[in-house]
Amino acid sequence: MSRSAIRAPQGVETRANGNHRLWAFYPLLAALLLTLAGGFAWQQLLRADLHGARERAQGQRRVLVPGPRGRILDRAGRVLAGNRPRFAVTLALDTLGPEFRAEFAAVKKNYHTPRESPPPTSAQLEQIARTAVVRRYLDQLETILGRATEFDAAGLQRHFSQQLLLPYLLMEDLTPAEYARLVEQLPANSPLQVFSAGVRDYPYGRLAAHALGSVGTDDSEADDDLPGDDLTTYRLRGTKGRDGLEKFFDDRLQGEAGFSIFRVSPAGYRLNPPLESRPPARGGDLMTSLDADLQLAAETALRINPDLAGAAVALDVRTGEVLVLASEPGYDLRDFSPRLSNATRDDIEARKAWANRAISASGTYSPGSTFKLLTAIAALRHGALDPDEPLGDPCDGSVLIGGKLFKCYNGKGHHGAVHLDEAIAKSCDVYFYQAGVKTTADNIAAEARRFHLDRPAGIELPGETHRMLIPDPAWKKRTQHEDWFQGDTANMAIGQGYVLETPLNMACFIASLARDEVWTQPTLLHRADAPAQHTERTGLTPAQRDALLAGMVGCTTVGTAAGTLNNPSLTNYIPGLSIAGKTGTAQIPGNKNAAWFVCFAPAENPQIAIAVMIEGDTAGEEVGGGRYAAPVAQAILKEWVKNQPKLNTPAPVSPSTLSLPALPSLTR
Amino acid sequence: MPVPSPSSRQSRPFITLGVVLVAWLLVPAVVKRFLRAALFEAQAPAAVTASRVRDLQEYWALRTRPANELIAAGKDTARALAGYELGVERLGLLEAENARLHALLSLPPPPGFRQEHARVVERDFSAWWQQLVIRKGADYGITVGAPVVFAGGVVGRVREVRATTSVVALLSDPSVSLAVVVVGPGDTRPDPRPVKYSGGDNPAFGPARGTLEFAPADITVTPGALPRLLTSGLGGVFPAGLPVGEVTRMEPSPDGLFQTGEVRLNPALATLEEVTVLVPEAPTALPAAP
Repeated sequence: MSRSAIRAPQGVETRANGNHRLWAFYPLLAALLLTLAGGFAWQQLLRADLHGARERAQGQRRVLVPGPRGRILDRAGRVLAGNRPRFAVTLALDTLGPEFRAEFAAVKKNYHTPRESPPPTSAQLEQIARTAVVRRYLDQLETILGRATEFDAAGLQRHFSQQLLLPYLLMEDLTPAEYARLVEQLPANSPLQVFSAGVRDYPYGRLAAHALGSVGTDDSEADDDLPGDDLTTYRLRGTKGRDGLEKFFDDRLQGEAGFSIFRVSPAGYRLNPPLESRPPARGGDLMTSLDADLQLAAETALRINPDLAGAAVALDVRTGEVLVLASEPGYDLRDFSPRLSNATRDDIEARKAWANRAISASGTYSPGSTFKLLTAIAALRHGALDPDEPLGDPCDGSVLIGGKLFKCYNGKGHHGAVHLDEAIAKSCDVYFYQAGVKTTADNIAAEARRFHLDRPAGIELPGETHRMLIPDPAWKKRTQHEDWFQGDTANMAIGQGYVLETPLNMACFIASLARDEVWTQPTLLHRADAPAQHTERTGLTPAQRDALLAGMVGCTTVGTAAGTLNNPSLTNYIPGLSIAGKTGTAQIPGNKNAAWFVCFAPAENPQIAIAVMIEGDTAGEEVGGGRYAAPVAQAILKEWVKNQPKLNTPAPVSPSTLSLPALPSLTR
Repeated sequence: MPVPSPSSRQSRPFITLGVVLVAWLLVPAVVKRFLRAALFEAQAPAAVTASRVRDLQEYWALRTRPANELIAAGKDTARALAGYELGVERLGLLEAENARLHALLSLPPPPGFRQEHARVVERDFSAWWQQLVIRKGADYGITVGAPVVFAGGVVGRVREVRATTSVVALLSDPSVSLAVVVVGPGDTRPDPRPVKYSGGDNPAFGPARGTLEFAPADITVTPGALPRLLTSGLGGVFPAGLPVGEVTRMEPSPDGLFQTGEVRLNPALATLEEVTVLVPEAPTALPAAP
């Protein structure tokens, strides 16, 4: 026994001075302790941010709720596209963890009894339990509301595995009475909650459907600058503009998303209340220049002949604001909310109603005799016409040009020796064949380009076509490898042949002419203080302009549109309003016709400019601009004058002979 | 016999408390529910007795009034009664007309109610509860969820029914929700759109208030001309046309679809002495308890 050892009474051996052999372990022990402390320091101090981020990513979830879209208003502030609440009942699956577990235990216990078939797996038991719990809540709903609804068990499992934190939709489109029953009969702490979401609402139904456009579901995973972008995020579906203004101004109309960040249990169930949240906010409103009254008048008039497709555009002459942008056949935007059915989609496609004929490729047509106004301007500016003298051969129903006989299709011929104003009023083709040839195709084309008729108008809508066409000899050589003939010039002079325009472009043209300028930039946005547009002058002398306008007024009083515009027996007859207009009926491929009417009013102080096109789809049918298109313009004007109390309209004129009306501001 | 050490003596109460808590946790839920109900039932006679004593006090207080005052009050009551009798007659005619119109339109008859008048035994206005205890319970066939009204409109809904008493959750209780309709100032007919009314978070001694949710965005509140709230009758619990309160403030929701509002309730709710329970005549149509 060692000298230093002391025998303790109970047999415990102790050493007063310790055992030197143990000293070798002390550095080892110290090193281990240091390693441990270092490890702690490394993990707790230096890697604290990393662990914090991991804990946050694992234990927190973010839910994004899209904001409602902004409203689209007409120029008077009337809501064309707004939002309406849509009530639904949802079930908060993420609060049902204990119920699912209890049901799971009960189901498992039931399967303990021996059966012939093998018992379900644990995953299957979980699905059975979830289905049973949700079915119970659905039964409760059905009892309160007294109606049955379909239960999508597969959808429930999908929602549970992918979107547990989002409310599970049990019933939607509640009526006010159903909503009231649930408010009073659901317990306050029930996981069943009445949920409200905004869907697009169209108080005017099908009004301006093509201009407004529709919205669809937005499934994009757009980046956001909301807090918690590093967390697992669940998004409620938002909406996105699919066409029309909804698409063009989607960024402005789009609401601001709200968010909530929740802490979740290891099983993924929500732990209330949210750590951080912000409610969604509505997007910005869009005040359009459209006038709901005029739009309604235009669309109603276009539907008088339901078998004929057509379009109408009306502009504020001073500002270029679009008052009407109508296209028929149309569709009812209410059918799109909340979603478009396949049957309705098929019906729209069968009627070819998707196309916005005011601006799209489906709406490019030869402008027919409305183009004679452009030909007249070109001829006047290039000295090919003298408004005070008849031009070339008198009209006896046809004229020989380039060795081919060109007929006068208006008035059954025999206009005789006519001046410019009468030629416009009666739409004498022979006069303009000769005027065109004398002016030359290049000069007419150059004039058309000066009026921006060779390019899109640049309106704030998607889908405006670039297929408008102003031909010239170089174009024909380049594209068709053929020479340009005088007959081509004659055809071009009366708006036939290769010339293609949209109703919107023709509306801009006629609005420019009304201001004696060459270009109108159309806009669908309304500003109360919108400045007047001013562009290059047409370059016509006052006498030339007066002759042109006298012809246009004559068109509506004694000419090709007189029967439909200047007839007091008509419902839409407007006594005293002087309208400067021009009809047109163009041949289009497929043996169809396009009936045009362009006008502005009042002729002495132009404020509104209109272009109407009606497509006749019956082969060989003569669809006259005066017969079909002018009444649409008349309906728009009839509505327009209701809001023009200070309109200074002269006394009605009804000349009985070919002598044209003398307008107060016109000198001839 | 060994003497316990001071430390073990000090820890004995905590040990006992722990044992009791563990024992309580182990007690089956059925037993707990029974004990809780038994506790309430045992307390009920005391509360009822106290309220009867208060009634007696009031009775003797009235006995001290001069005879002339009582005679005048009796005359006033007789006049009011005559007016009410006339009203009841008109009501009978209207009910008959209403039934005839329902029959003409083949509509189901509106839910019928049996009226049970009950004295208020206790009032409990705290941050947690806004409730009354009334002196009738299962002994009078009162059912959970039954609507409770008084002369000034809606009181609330029956939350709990005991043998001789019932607990009524007041309109100001957060658990009470109603589908109401809004009557604008000067309007005789309510806006038909139902709006959700809920009791709010009320301070213990403050005026009772509620909240309005999912109110249409076009309802406006002008100081001095407050819109009134009436029961819609669409919810299946309350009959239509009972006053609920006045909307004092409206705020648009951030999404612009709705408004939320603040509702001022009838101050008489805090001093109620007598209420009427509307017991549904069709027991199968019992609504959920608040």
